[in-house]
Amino acid sequence: MNLRVVGANLIVSIKSFYREKTAMFFTIAFPIILILVFGALFMNQDNMSFDLCVQDLDHTGSSAQIVKTLELDGKFKVIKIDPAINAAQYTRNNKLNLVLMIPKGYEGSFLQRMALNDPNASVVLTYLYDPSSISVFMKIQILNSVFAGINRNMSGNPPFIRLTETSALTKKYRFIELFIPGIIAMSVMTLSLFGTVNVNTELRQKGIIRKLSTTPITRTDWILSNILYQFILAVISTIAMLLVSYAVFRVRLHINAWLPLFIVLDVFAFVGIGMILTRFVKEAQSAAAAANAISFPMMFLSGSFFPLEMMPGFMRTIARMLPLYYVNEGLRASMVFDDHMAALRYSAIIGVFAAVVFILGILATKWEEGR
Amino acid sequence: MTKEAEHAIEVQKLTKRYGDLLAVNDISFNVRKGEVFALLGPNGAGKTTTVEIIDTIRTPTSGKVSLLGMDVTKKKHDIFPRIGVLPQGFSSFDRITVRETLQYYSRLFSCMNTDIDGLIGLVNLKDKTKEQYKNLSGGLKQRLGIAIALVNDPEVVFLDEPTTGLDPRARREVWKVLLGLKKKGKTVFLTTHYMEEAELLADTVAIISKGKIIAMGSPEALIESNANYLVLTLRPVDEKALEIVRKMDFEPVYDNHKDIKVRVEHTDDVRKILTTIKNAGASLLSLDVRRPNLEEVFLKLTGEALSKDPAGEVAE
Repeated sequence: MNLRVVGANLIVSIKSFYREKTAMFFTIAFPIILILVFGALFMNQDNMSFDLCVQDLDHTGSSAQIVKTLELDGKFKVIKIDPAINAAQYTRNNKLNLVLMIPKGYEGSFLQRMALNDPNASVVLTYLYDPSSISVFMKIQILNSVFAGINRNMSGNPPFIRLTETSALTKKYRFIELFIPGIIAMSVMTLSLFGTVNVNTELRQKGIIRKLSTTPITRTDWILSNILYQFILAVISTIAMLLVSYAVFRVRLHINAWLPLFIVLDVFAFVGIGMILTRFVKEAQSAAAAANAISFPMMFLSGSFFPLEMMPGFMRTIARMLPLYYVNEGLRASMVFDDHMAALRYSAIIGVFAAVVFILGILATKWEEGR
Repeated sequence: MTKEAEHAIEVQKLTKRYGDLLAVNDISFNVRKGEVFALLGPNGAGKTTTVEIIDTIRTPTSGKVSLLGMDVTKKKHDIFPRIGVLPQGFSSFDRITVRETLQYYSRLFSCMNTDIDGLIGLVNLKDKTKEQYKNLSGGLKQRLGIAIALVNDPEVVFLDEPTTGLDPRARREVWKVLLGLKKKGKTVFLTTHYMEEAELLADTVAIISKGKIIAMGSPEALIESNANYLVLTLRPVDEKALEIVRKMDFEPVYDNHKDIKVRVEHTDDVRKILTTIKNAGASLLSLDVRRPNLEEVFLKLTGEALSKDPAGEVAE
């Protein structure tokens, strides 16, 4: 092995990458876009809050109190509507999906029930809603449960069945925090797999490997420089993803030695698979198709995007046979749950896999052009 | 001087098979140090297979090839630093500049003192040093390829069809570079299907056809021994002169219904043809008398045309 040769190769690869803007985009920007899109989509699941328009026609202290109760519940951000305007017209004009109307006489009925204990005293609140809206029914359900609670409290009888929610985890994790490790694992996989397959087939097709085979560069130098190059790209991409995740979503992740270790194992595993593919696929176009055939099922079945619990049983079994699953779970164990034993277990499995495919990849790499 | 010291390349009974295809069939030849050796033949004759076995890219089926006294199948890594190769259809990294490409290959050879500027000057790429490879024309790419083949100051340079696919002007620019190499005393192994290229550049030409070397020697000696005649080219005013020449007892070489080319043994034959035409009252627009070239040698030896020649004229 000649480090000067490895360095020369690395410099050429990095310069080519830097000057190829499309490659730059897909390496750095694409995973970030995924994080931003998925992060924004699922952010509400973590801290769901709906806008709720309220028209208080009673305009009394009691009606103001019930509006305040809704606000304090935390599920709604209340927007008050002028009692003088036509609520139905206002709803249509402003494309609202729900307006809660508190009728005039609310306080009178309330006092009749509370002060005079008149069981017949009641009030009718109106939901003025757009039935074509998907989210409006969720809002109505939440409002119903809030009002049921108020009714129960006013009756003075404690409920028979009480419910409590306790997280099995020591802290609450947000979707985005579980999503980031999956995206890091997936990005490193695509970079390493496509990088290896594309570069090797293109250079072979263009005859550059034939030229290189008449110089002192060896197969070991070539593979080592490729591994280093893929690792550098993986690190750049991971840093970019983490920076965006911290800046935009304020994630709380554990960054420790497991992260570079899993990146290295991810790179070795998929560069190895790439080298094996390159041996059997001659044309650059068919190489890309072959890499897609491997990476796409891996992305969707190994739990990078979706939790395995969403999948049917047999697909979960398939997922556990995929190398990316162990990188996903290993990164989640270390970055999210801070579970070193689980990370060690996953790293051992992916480590063995990476070693085997990388050795097979080295054996499959044909350096001399012709025999 | 011993044989080993005299010969840069020694090829003995070299054979290469690809399945049922016999690409190179039991050929033997030597290349002297400091000479330009051209392997001349049509596409598919076995030129590239031969050169790629000698420059270590391929392995032979049988036979022995010695390069600078070393067996090419056993001493690859000792050979690499002492040779430079421009493979057929050479290409390089698209987004790397001319200078960076030369620096890259120089590093591969661990050459600390490569005169990059000197090489750039030699191949006349001074105003293209910052140009990326993908932006170079075909001729400039080939010239860069030649410069790359020289980064390690090799003793033997292999150039596999260095001008194929280039327009006549670009081809002549590459020839200038190759003449520069010849002046520097490098041993150059050249493959080509352009006879003009071989005739201009080579000290020794080996003609290869269907995997066999069918003739070898200096261009002059090959022409002398295989085509000892003159070629008379006539462009008559009308059909009358053509008819007269056709009726005379000479072997026509080429007739495109405008010109007629005739093989003649002596200058007296030229005089005889011209006198006959004149006496018959026919006129000529032009005439030309020249020695035959390698194209005609190849035609005589194989009965086949070699190629379209560099000037774009169809060789028959």
